[in-house]
Amino acid sequence: MSMRETLLSIIEQSFEELNDTREPGNLLSFHPEVALYGANSSLDSVDLVNLLLAIEERIEDELDISFTIANEKALSQKNSPFKTVKSLCDYLQIELAK
Amino acid sequence: MFIDFLENIFLSNQSKEAIVWKEQPYTYANLVEQLRLWQEKLNQHNVQPGTVVMVQADYSPASIALFLALIEKQCIFVPITSSVAAQKKEFIEVSQVELVITIDESDNARFENTEISSAHTFYETLREEAVPGLVLFSSGSTGKSKAAVHDLAKLLDKFKVPRHAMRAISFLLYDHIGGVNTLLYTLSNAGCLITLENRQPDYVLRMVEKFAVELLPTSPSFINLMLISDAYKNYDISSLTTVTYGTEPMPESTLAQFHRLFPDIRLLQTYGLSELGIMRSKSKDSSSLWMKVGGEGFETRIVEGILHIKAYSAMLGYLNAPSPFTADGWFNTGDMVEQDGEYIKILGRESEIINVGGQKVFPAEVESVLQQLDEVAEAQVFGQENAILGNVVSAKIRLSNSVNDWDKSQAKKMLKKHCMGHLESFKIPAKFYFDDAEQFSARFKKQRTKVA
Repeated sequence: MSMRETLLSIIEQSFEELNDTREPGNLLSFHPEVALYGANSSLDSVDLVNLLLAIEERIEDELDISFTIANEKALSQKNSPFKTVKSLCDYLQIELAK
Repeated sequence: MFIDFLENIFLSNQSKEAIVWKEQPYTYANLVEQLRLWQEKLNQHNVQPGTVVMVQADYSPASIALFLALIEKQCIFVPITSSVAAQKKEFIEVSQVELVITIDESDNARFENTEISSAHTFYETLREEAVPGLVLFSSGSTGKSKAAVHDLAKLLDKFKVPRHAMRAISFLLYDHIGGVNTLLYTLSNAGCLITLENRQPDYVLRMVEKFAVELLPTSPSFINLMLISDAYKNYDISSLTTVTYGTEPMPESTLAQFHRLFPDIRLLQTYGLSELGIMRSKSKDSSSLWMKVGGEGFETRIVEGILHIKAYSAMLGYLNAPSPFTADGWFNTGDMVEQDGEYIKILGRESEIINVGGQKVFPAEVESVLQQLDEVAEAQVFGQENAILGNVVSAKIRLSNSVNDWDKSQAKKMLKKHCMGHLESFKIPAKFYFDDAEQFSARFKKQRTKVA
């Protein structure tokens, strides 16, 4: 698996983890363009934070890399990395390669 | 007589917009009409001065007019919003509510008598002095909400000084000291209160654009979320001149980023407590966390790094907790501060309360929910810093021997599911740590994926 595929799979599994504890009528669907936060997203701020923490945990478990996704640098980027699954994946790919 | 000064302002600004509700403007003339209507309704229901009246509502023309009518009637006003619906029964008991008025989403009202008869020294004091009261629920260190009783006549005093009229968003809630402050400030200066149907950045900023909002009183988390959502890129928010934030410590980086994006918006930190009211404060500049607090009616001192305040508008006391005041009237805020001349900087709470995006979480409450499960032998709940929400709730769990064949994700899922039925989402631990690493190491083994 390429790094990108691994990250996408980690994000997808983290979505599933969130869905495990959501009401059946309120499940999140997963695809690269899905909005993580903002007007078009069904995630609220608590959901977003939970998702990011779930992803962090999987990155640590599966890649053995300890990385805090919601850091000050991510928050002060001109284009928010938390816009879509794709932008988050782009951001992680760059940051984890460092 | 208590709201004469407000009525005079309303009457001389009849054609001005007072409230925007569900995106519809209501003028001061409309507000006066609503006020008369509510005064009549209170009379029809034979509401007497000194009655403890709970109002469950969000901001609307009716709920605002009712608030004013209750002040004038010298009632003791206990506002709550649907966000605390789960605690409504407890709040009714603690504050000995005699009458509950519920205002629904269409602004229709329902009256219910509780058959409770209230008797408390603080209520007696208010009744003897023939002044209206206000009861606000604040956070206690054990998870039980504390009911702070205020003399509303004193709280109203500071609004008699005319200040700048603003078009303000009602971001803070109807039952929050900051919300009460925004409402009274706006009305006493013939400004306009723009009410919200939700608090998502996109919607809030759309309201700013649509209704030319000048003042947005909010929280650091909202500022974070506004930046993350990129919502500001979609709307013209040039009408906004001032953003105020309070209730939780602000990361300096967020402040700097906001200031870079919006150099013309004045950022002001406010400082207020349910027990004392909102103080006037002045930030050193828009990118600074240093501020001067105080103003008329407030004195401050710092004792062992903790801010103490003496306020003219301070509450009489708690209904259900011992007096937090020293004999000479000082209140220990529990906030640790740094001092530089006349400026202070809030470092954070002394106590262990976890502040998640401005909402308070008591470890004890979450721990007790976790411990309801037989599978949990021990639970310890604490806060961990988070760049988006300030803090998140984390829990360290020791599982019982009966479930020692469970893996981490199974355990997490079960714990979260249980919490869902008992806690609001922000209180549910976002991170679980499982204790007794040795015992669990076999099952919690890291799974590695090969990376090309």
